[in-house]
Amino acid sequence: MKIVRLVVLAAALALLPSAVQAQGKSPGKDALLYFIWPQNGTTIKGGFWCRFGLRNMGITHAGEDYQNSGHHHLLIDVNEPLEVNEPIPQDKNHLHFGAGQTEARIELPPGKHTLQLVLGDTKHFPFSPPLVSEKITVTIK
Amino acid sequence: MREKVRDINSARNSTRSNVSPGAVTPRRLAAIVAGDISGYSRLMQLDEEGTHARVKRIQRDLIEPSIAEHHGRLVKTTGDGFFAIFESPVEAVRCGVVIQQNMVGRNASLPRDHRIEYRIGVNLGDVIIEEDDIYGDGVNIASRLESIAEPGQVFISGGIYEQIKHKLVCGYESLGDRKVKNITDPVRVYRVLPDPAAFNKARKRRENILIFLLSFVLFVIASSALWYLLPQSPGKPRDQASTRLSPDVPRPLLGKPSAQPAQPSPSAAPATQEAARQDRLPVLVPPAPKQTPSQLQPAAPVAPRTQPAATLREPEMNMLPGGAFMMGSNDDSSEKPVHQVTIKPFAISRYPISVREWNECAAAKACAFVATGRDDAPVTNVSWSDARQFVGWLAGATRKPYRLPTEAEWEYAARGGTQTRYWWGDELRPGMANCKGCADVAAVEQPARSGSFRPNPFGLYDMGGAVDQWVEDCWHKNYGGAPTDGSAWVEGDCGSHVIRSGSWKNDARYVRTANRDSYDTSVRYPTHGFRVALSP
Repeated sequence: MKIVRLVVLAAALALLPSAVQAQGKSPGKDALLYFIWPQNGTTIKGGFWCRFGLRNMGITHAGEDYQNSGHHHLLIDVNEPLEVNEPIPQDKNHLHFGAGQTEARIELPPGKHTLQLVLGDTKHFPFSPPLVSEKITVTIK
Repeated sequence: MREKVRDINSARNSTRSNVSPGAVTPRRLAAIVAGDISGYSRLMQLDEEGTHARVKRIQRDLIEPSIAEHHGRLVKTTGDGFFAIFESPVEAVRCGVVIQQNMVGRNASLPRDHRIEYRIGVNLGDVIIEEDDIYGDGVNIASRLESIAEPGQVFISGGIYEQIKHKLVCGYESLGDRKVKNITDPVRVYRVLPDPAAFNKARKRRENILIFLLSFVLFVIASSALWYLLPQSPGKPRDQASTRLSPDVPRPLLGKPSAQPAQPSPSAAPATQEAARQDRLPVLVPPAPKQTPSQLQPAAPVAPRTQPAATLREPEMNMLPGGAFMMGSNDDSSEKPVHQVTIKPFAISRYPISVREWNECAAAKACAFVATGRDDAPVTNVSWSDARQFVGWLAGATRKPYRLPTEAEWEYAARGGTQTRYWWGDELRPGMANCKGCADVAAVEQPARSGSFRPNPFGLYDMGGAVDQWVEDCWHKNYGGAPTDGSAWVEGDCGSHVIRSGSWKNDARYVRTANRDSYDTSVRYPTHGFRVALSP
């Protein structure tokens, strides 16, 4: 009988794939998102490799729904507050690393810039509460 | 438990230790992590220098920092592997999992035979520690565990398992006692499943397959029954299918784009067009449009599809003349230098590919998922790889070489013969494109129905705004070295591809005809769609 119930359950689930929405997942316990490099206040000449650090959670490819994991987003000079109920925007100020990258070559025009990391879930939504890094400022010479 | 483990290990060491029994050598209980690249010699054969450089880089960027971050010590590295010791078994396993999960990401964009995959074994043992090496059968067991681990996985010993089972939120799958080479006592082996759900998956795999098959069979039976029962009233099912299709066949199906009835201007008569689209709709999707994939898909093979090509509705295409134009702009560094490109005549779809067009591919099981949303809205959440699957299917089903447009073709088509910032001029005008802050209407959740805004001089809709559109080209950060014959630029790093147009979520800067951006090749995002092209 248990099997029959499972079949019914499986059928119901198969019929409602769109009803399953992965939103507002909670981040891992003690998870910490941070910049390995650059540090806040660094002055950099030209392009640089930005390295993303994540503690107590894993990095996966966007679209793969593993528990306790997500993928990086780098926000450059973004001042608007993060919209928690929408996918993280995709434009020249919101860089996505959905292939699971943990570093990126960044080239910015000279001047002061802010950088912040946001971890996104499998559907590019921020976690709830959002898992973000400190917002750092770097100066490009 | 810890005591027990220590006793067992030290007893074993004292009886079987092959290292000099000098009392001065420091012994320590430690969690030993052994890692090794699977198929290293094969990789080296494939590309010696490249593999070496990649392995070095992984060691520098991932393995060393991960070990340090988990308070471990890298004892030694071999050509393709490493040994590290940790005071804490929890940290040791966590470090192993972090390395493996990061490798998944690093490998994601690589072809299968170029992937570097580590096998990792973790054991708790009493070891002799020297400056740059460790000894003891605790080390040997770790390395044996590593050798039986599958690529990409972490295997741990019973000793480690006892220490971490209640502390680290992971699934653990027992693989029983394994006899390992040159170790007398069998070792209890566990596979770490970083995702506890995966543990259940592993346990219930067989059960699930059974359930899946059962439900699939049920669906096939149910839907075939439905198929034969529903059209029963007027006549034989097969006749019914053909009569239902017949009024529609001569009109838009196989006709060349030019043979199509004039597309009513949407601004002039949106209602007519809407109605026209609506009346074609039931033909394509025999069950109610809201029906879900599981009902649709099993129905497909059962349905009498004698002439799949005849029922396939091709995208509406506009034929464009060839010509030369100046590609790029000075508004953004990625759009420089402005350079002349010559384009051969080609056809491009009038609208971005719609949900309905996409779902025909999904129904034929050639596309990976069934899209939701209005039938006449552009399909979204497709990766470049998805888009390529679609054009591959379309080309096969129609026997015409449908493909993605090249980046140069896209910009040529978007400009429609203009050299201005937008196709309608240098200034933003409301009602011309579906972008954030560009229309008078408030932002919407979904991109509007295709054809809601004005077409450009080539009669193409949504060339700018609405949905981002994939093109064939790999991403290059500017046009230095780009081809000038209108072909796709596919040399270099193809981990990401070019998207054009900007979406309804981007502001006016992104609607510019020269604007370009990139995204990871195989990652889906909710604003990404595409259109198709065809060479005559």
